[in-house]
Amino acid sequence: MIRGALAIFRRDMKKFISNPFVMFITLAMPIMYLIIFGNAIGGTITGIPLGVVQEEPYTSPTPLYEAGLDALTGFHQPGNPALFAVTVYSDENIAREALATGRLMGYVVFPSDLVPGRPVRLYVDSSEYTIPALIQSGVAAVLVQVQAENPLFVNNIYGTVEYLQFFGVGVIVMAIFMTTMMGGGIALIRDRELGITEGYLVTPVKRSSIILGTIGSGTVRAFLAGFLIFAVNIIIAGVLVKGAASFALVLLVLLMTSIGVTSLVVALSSRFSNQQEYASTIAFFNLLLFMTSGAFYPVIGIPGWLSWITVINPEYYAVHALRSIILRGQGINVIGTDLIALAIFSLGAIALGIMTYRRTLE
Amino acid sequence: MTGRDPDPEDQAGEKGKNPDDDIIRIEKITKVFQNARTVVAVDDVSFTVRRGEIFGLLGPNGAGKSTLIRILTTLMKPTSGTASIESYDVTRDPEKIRARIGVCPQNSTLDLELSAYDNLDFYGRLQNVDDATLEARIPDLLAMVDLSDRAEARVSTFSGGMRRKLEIVRAFIHRPSILFLDEPTIGLDPESRREVWKQITHLNAEETTIILTTHYMDEAEKLCHRLAFMDQGRLISLDTPENLKRAMPGGDLIEIGFDELKEGILPALQAHPSVVSVEVKDQKLLISAHAGSSLLPQILADFSRLGTPVRSVSIRSPSLEDVFIYLTGKKLGDPGVSGALSPEGGS
Repeated sequence: MIRGALAIFRRDMKKFISNPFVMFITLAMPIMYLIIFGNAIGGTITGIPLGVVQEEPYTSPTPLYEAGLDALTGFHQPGNPALFAVTVYSDENIAREALATGRLMGYVVFPSDLVPGRPVRLYVDSSEYTIPALIQSGVAAVLVQVQAENPLFVNNIYGTVEYLQFFGVGVIVMAIFMTTMMGGGIALIRDRELGITEGYLVTPVKRSSIILGTIGSGTVRAFLAGFLIFAVNIIIAGVLVKGAASFALVLLVLLMTSIGVTSLVVALSSRFSNQQEYASTIAFFNLLLFMTSGAFYPVIGIPGWLSWITVINPEYYAVHALRSIILRGQGINVIGTDLIALAIFSLGAIALGIMTYRRTLE
Repeated sequence: MTGRDPDPEDQAGEKGKNPDDDIIRIEKITKVFQNARTVVAVDDVSFTVRRGEIFGLLGPNGAGKSTLIRILTTLMKPTSGTASIESYDVTRDPEKIRARIGVCPQNSTLDLELSAYDNLDFYGRLQNVDDATLEARIPDLLAMVDLSDRAEARVSTFSGGMRRKLEIVRAFIHRPSILFLDEPTIGLDPESRREVWKQITHLNAEETTIILTTHYMDEAEKLCHRLAFMDQGRLISLDTPENLKRAMPGGDLIEIGFDELKEGILPALQAHPSVVSVEVKDQKLLISAHAGSSLLPQILADFSRLGTPVRSVSIRSPSLEDVFIYLTGKKLGDPGVSGALSPEGGS
């Protein structure tokens, strides 16, 4: 028994050592986990975009407003940059609009001094994780700091959003990625490993046909997985989609995300000839893209050197678009950018996949 | 996507330039693999294949047969030299060629997770065969190889012979003008081999040119109209099986068993002009001679004239194996017969 076990052990170790790529990925993975996980999650959140406005009727800035604005701008945790990136608005309606379209995470309305003791109103985008609490405690601390007697009136504009609801939307995107990893790319690699490619490379089928066909089948599977998690979200996390238009928009985002992520995975797989190398690489990308997508933790908390990844990360746009529709009830005006980003990303990945696919056996 | 539509360019022009109707022309093809060490898999090979023939590429493992097939089927680019099929260059017009050839590679490329029908259907679609034609042709092809009752069964449940036959008809789904079969009967039992041979002959009868590689001599001899011997990437000889054998200096081999050799018989035998050599070995006379069958009565007459009783007589033509040994100085079946094992692992 021992001899047999040793034989198996030796064989596996020989294979492991003879494949430097897999060895590197295997050893680098835990280190990457540490670095990316550690930095993308639980990072210090600073520079929250906050609006400040003084209530109508406006005559001149009140002392409370001036002191408050000053204190909010300078407010910071010890050793950290300012908590808020403050923008001053002259009109509450403009601030409301900025909050509704996601340009602000919250805004503070200081009362005019016609009647003393009127409350300071705080409007917060409650769909984000930890940020609403940070804003609320920050503003409360500032009011104490400037010795204002006025009460603080907090309005969570999207109601109370549970972490499960916040995270659930991210899981939709993860489901899409995981399915793609199993579906889209692996089919190409299995064909290559089993030698089936040699059979169809001698037919007139075009490179683009092979890539588009593979992306197509992968997209359908990814879309179904994403939709399933979306449905589970509705049942378990209790998220609500307001109206048929929003529902259609969710489906559109799911579809575009599925195409984008599948294209990426297929593009990566077009060069691999070994399932192990492919799986290691995809697992790495999965970690990197999911952690920096904002699915777990607000993107604003990711340190600068890592946050550039969010800019080219299709999952970031997907998570943002889905949260905008599902948690904030926003429409195409807010998620238009996300859709454009996903489209550009998909086209780039498809082109890369077609260009790198080998039409010969060399 | 228009692939198989006959464009005017095909019909006129180019084809007319082939007066002798060579369907494949190979000129000075060389293929070098640069891996850990440099391997010349195909070394300056030139020949032509005629329309409608069964052409055999013969040689030991590593002779460069599969590499040459892969170059002709557009899977690899030659390092130097040119090759054309139906007047289309393999490197410049690969798509035109792909629509005209059917290929059955050495290793199975069937999708084991699909049924026999779906495998044929998949390839038919890749070859741009329209739906109606495909629907009619697939049952025909399955019937041709006695797999009609297994049409919906997964290929993973098929025996080696069934898979091979399925793969051969799959290569034929778009009625290609040329069929490439790389070691079509490797690893098959004798019964299955005979069936595969039957299929090959049958497809050839439908005016398909067939190129097959093999290292089975009987297969080459039975099927091929012309043969090319390859060894270590080089083309050694090319002719019909009969001519190849005739080119052997010894010609036919006659063996005559005896009890006692009378004097004078050896000079008498050597006096025949067609006798090349006579040898005595273990109570047997081994006579190499041209046109042995017509010489045999005269030899037997010599024996009876000199009063030597004949115990046994056998006559055989030289086998292709004998020819190969004569040409290369080594046996065909020997593993590692050639130093140049090509990187693809096969032949």
